[in-house]
Amino acid sequence: MSRVLIVEDEEHLAAGLKFNLETEGLVAEVEENGQVALDRLTSEPNEFDVVLLDVMLPGLDGFEVVRRLREAGRFVPVMLLTARSHTDDVLRGFEAGADDYLPKPFDLAILLARVQGLLRRKTWLRGGEAAGDEALEEFRFAGKHIDFREQVLRWDGTEQPLTLMEATLLRYLVRHDGQTVSRKVLLEEVWGVREDTDTRTVDNFIARLRRYIEAEPSDPKHLHTIRGVGYRFVSEPAD
Amino acid sequence: MDRSGGTRKRSVLLVALLGAGLIAVAVALNVSFIVANWRAGLLLLVGIVSFAVLIGGLALNTAFLIREIRKSEQHDAFIHAVTHELKTPLASIKLYLQTLRQRELSPDKQHELIDTMLEDSDRLQRTIDQILLAGKTGDARRVDNATTVDVSAVVDECVTLAGKRHHLVNGEVQLSVSPGTFVVMGDRDELVAAVTNLVDNAIKYSGDRVKVAVDVARAGARRVSISVRDQGIGIKGPELKRVFRRFYRLPAALQSRVRGTGVGLSIVQAVARRHGGRAYAESRGAGRGSTFTLELPMRSS
Repeated sequence: MSRVLIVEDEEHLAAGLKFNLETEGLVAEVEENGQVALDRLTSEPNEFDVVLLDVMLPGLDGFEVVRRLREAGRFVPVMLLTARSHTDDVLRGFEAGADDYLPKPFDLAILLARVQGLLRRKTWLRGGEAAGDEALEEFRFAGKHIDFREQVLRWDGTEQPLTLMEATLLRYLVRHDGQTVSRKVLLEEVWGVREDTDTRTVDNFIARLRRYIEAEPSDPKHLHTIRGVGYRFVSEPAD
Repeated sequence: MDRSGGTRKRSVLLVALLGAGLIAVAVALNVSFIVANWRAGLLLLVGIVSFAVLIGGLALNTAFLIREIRKSEQHDAFIHAVTHELKTPLASIKLYLQTLRQRELSPDKQHELIDTMLEDSDRLQRTIDQILLAGKTGDARRVDNATTVDVSAVVDECVTLAGKRHHLVNGEVQLSVSPGTFVVMGDRDELVAAVTNLVDNAIKYSGDRVKVAVDVARAGARRVSISVRDQGIGIKGPELKRVFRRFYRLPAALQSRVRGTGVGLSIVQAVARRHGGRAYAESRGAGRGSTFTLELPMRSS
């Protein structure tokens, strides 16, 4: 059974979320304090499958919780819930390492769908049943080895763990090796976002992936920007 | 917000540097002017006067700029706080309504959800009332349509309601009223809002152990004082006055994420002034509790 940690100091919201997630057959627990939640997530790494994280928290704010979580090498999928829906805040969340975000007030149906989405993508990455396409468990290119099951990128003895969204995005790009994909399509296919989310979300993740896979992130050889359209991943560049 | 704060600091620095540069240029010009034309006395006088005007204008300009920047920073923080205070209960109400709509629930569970929504709508209403009142009491004029108000009754009502709202049932908030009647001329709603703000603050800033004492007593011959004492986070000396400024929030309060918009105490002070009274804070320092007192002139019999 999948387990969700709700980190929210507003009692009513936390109780409402917990009730709904439990009704959906998930196990849900609540923490009110950012620092306490971080300690719990780092000490028992695989206790939870998804974290719903508020931004304004006592102890430690949500941005900081997710940043430190990633620093500590914990890559549990994190969805930020925030009343601050300003683009800067959203980008800050993704930069810190969040996988998804939902502005408050949110729709219950959308929230549940996004949580299920994060859970599903996790099993999907692990080679589980994907909607109609064969499992892609690993991929090798230019001396790099991506292990989608483990969410790890390896090269020359280095290991870079990937967040769920980084791995999912990379997997999508690899599947479309050599094709140009637009930001909008990426948002829809990778994030499952249909609303007018800022496409800079994608740019942020691409920048992160470049840091991992490019020798020279400012002069990419594999992950190209196609001006005015989107991005193209090329595993074996012509030159 | 942090980032824009940084930008503002940079622009302040830039203006300061620009000012210093301008002054240096002006001094250099003046000196060379004096050296070259030491006989032209009248011109010299005109030069000095316009120089003084220039410097004065520059200083004034800088002072205004700094003040505006501070205001706009506090304003940003206020907007953030209000956004949070409005959106959070709304998010809760929406979540509970959708839950009621989508799920088959027992009548008990339904009632529980409805009670939660009622609490959230009260919270929403209080925030809205508070903001509207802050706007209304913003000008320091006296209240119009003053009526006689029984202070003891007002305080009693506020204490009872605050206790209910914060689910305090074990006498965490103690009210004691000195013998006698205390009647003031004023606006009952404003007085209720002011006292409620003081009691709410005392509870909010108490942390987990709430112990609040509210006293109504005579102060001097013609005044009544309502004091609210807590054992909470306390206030450092320099901040005792600042807490009454509109949008000001204690750094300690921000750190411990106590809810609030930063207008509550400014309302208390405005209401005090509109009734010809005053409001002040006392504290033995951080972590050692604080006492807020609202003093009002009584109706002369």
